[in-house]
Amino acid sequence: MIWRSWPVPRNEGTAVHRTGGATLCVSIEQAGDGDVLAALVRYAEDDAPGARRAAQLVLPPLDDPAWSRYYSGKADHYELEPGYPDIPVCVRLHEPFRLPPGADLRGWIFSHLEAKLKVSHAIAGTFPLKKPFKTLYGSPDAGVICRFDEADFLASDEPATAALHEDPSLVAHPVRLRNSSSDPVLVEELCIYGEQLSVFGVGRHMQSERLLFVFNSSGVRMSLEGQGALPPGAKLLSRPTVSGEERFIERSFELFKAITRL
Amino acid sequence: MDEANVIAEGSANEAASNGGLLALLPQDGILGRLFTMDAALTAIRVIVAIVLGAVVVGVIVTLIRRVTAKRMDARTSGLIVKVSQYLGLALIAVNALDAAKVNLSGLLGAAGIAGIALGFAAQTSVSNFISGFFLVSEKTFSVGDVITIEGSTGVVYSVDALSIKLRSFDNQLIRIPNETLIKTRVTNITRFPARRLNINLVVTYDTDLDRLRAALMELASANQFVLRKPEPLYMVQRFGDNGVELLFGVWLAKEDWVNGNNSVLADIKRRFEAEGIEFALPARTVHSKAATAPRAKQRAAAKS
Repeated sequence: MIWRSWPVPRNEGTAVHRTGGATLCVSIEQAGDGDVLAALVRYAEDDAPGARRAAQLVLPPLDDPAWSRYYSGKADHYELEPGYPDIPVCVRLHEPFRLPPGADLRGWIFSHLEAKLKVSHAIAGTFPLKKPFKTLYGSPDAGVICRFDEADFLASDEPATAALHEDPSLVAHPVRLRNSSSDPVLVEELCIYGEQLSVFGVGRHMQSERLLFVFNSSGVRMSLEGQGALPPGAKLLSRPTVSGEERFIERSFELFKAITRL
Repeated sequence: MDEANVIAEGSANEAASNGGLLALLPQDGILGRLFTMDAALTAIRVIVAIVLGAVVVGVIVTLIRRVTAKRMDARTSGLIVKVSQYLGLALIAVNALDAAKVNLSGLLGAAGIAGIALGFAAQTSVSNFISGFFLVSEKTFSVGDVITIEGSTGVVYSVDALSIKLRSFDNQLIRIPNETLIKTRVTNITRFPARRLNINLVVTYDTDLDRLRAALMELASANQFVLRKPEPLYMVQRFGDNGVELLFGVWLAKEDWVNGNNSVLADIKRRFEAEGIEFALPARTVHSKAATAPRAKQRAAAKS
């Protein structure tokens, strides 16, 4: 479990944290009377094919712009905290399907987290745990730029679900899909607003609140449907940055502006 | 102190005690006729009207500014504030003239004539001002958008009653009158969240187009700036003079435009070099008649 406090690597060179396909490296160098914490993330897909991962980790010098540098003063520890990207995440389903009118379906999807590096409770940097790509959710004139992710729509008892729970770079989202329109809808991608979500952890499992996607004639909208079935002993690892009410008010005002063109 | 001074001082004291300072002025002089008690009261009324009017108008304009700044874009807010300021000033002026007991009917007649003269003189300004309202209702752009007008491209820096100001990318301030914006074509480059980067390619005729398509699609999917959706566009446009002409379009988020542009073009060049795909250069096929010339020479030589 990497989501905890770590000692600043003053005498041990670079600290290496491996999660899924990403490797987060943290190093330190002196700056005046304090220290500068430097961090960068490497992705498995950038490595030379066939190369052994441990042997492949050749890091640039600390003055290379690839490192994110943050003045950490005399801090002895830094924390790693899971978080969602600051833009919505659009999860494309590997196998899109049609949902008939009135259908109500439950399942799981997984999305990739970001690592928030904190020093003295202040964020020193955020690092996606999967090479970040973007996509447009919606139409080119009114869509939203999102972080791109891909997932399967899984049932609770599928073996793949248990395997994905073991990946520390993934968070599980219990999902409920409801088609309240009178026509079948094609479910091919789901847009998740991470700013409203928490991350709960039990051991290496991480999970968000239950997400409700309601499809109707005007489109699809995500909302929270309670915490879902949290495993016993779950603890809160990360809080939402925006409350659902704030988001609702903001969206309503945006809608009002769009309708009235004010 | 002589007797004459004593008499003058005595009469001044008496005047001051009877009629105040105004009594000091000679009653039949110009100043005496102007500075009467009535005139003083009128002046006070005018000053009070102006001060009170300015305070009330100031409070109202401040309120309007705060409310509109929160709920509207800078352009609309600025225009509404400007209009309320001008209306307020006009009301203060009318109120002050009324307090000064000026006959407004005569003034209005004069104002009508002056208005016609001013109308001709301020035709452009009024046109710009009114154009501003049409622009507001159209909502073509707002502060921070990147727009192109008559060949000038820049970030909208401010929107005012008569004109807008652009900051060009080489850091120059460009003022464009509102009237121009109504008359000419305005392109808002950053209105929508994503833009397509259109890349025109010309490759030699011996290029395997299937392999080319696969290479372009692969580099697009590996580039972090290219959006996964909408998908890239690949289109063979025509067989040109110099080679096969293609259009390859990839979608970029508007904030990634410059970096994405550089990254995609560099990727294409790198990939073409790796795959041995050649960009077509202007070429001409020359058919030589040299093969027939020697025969003619041979015939001529045989005859001779």
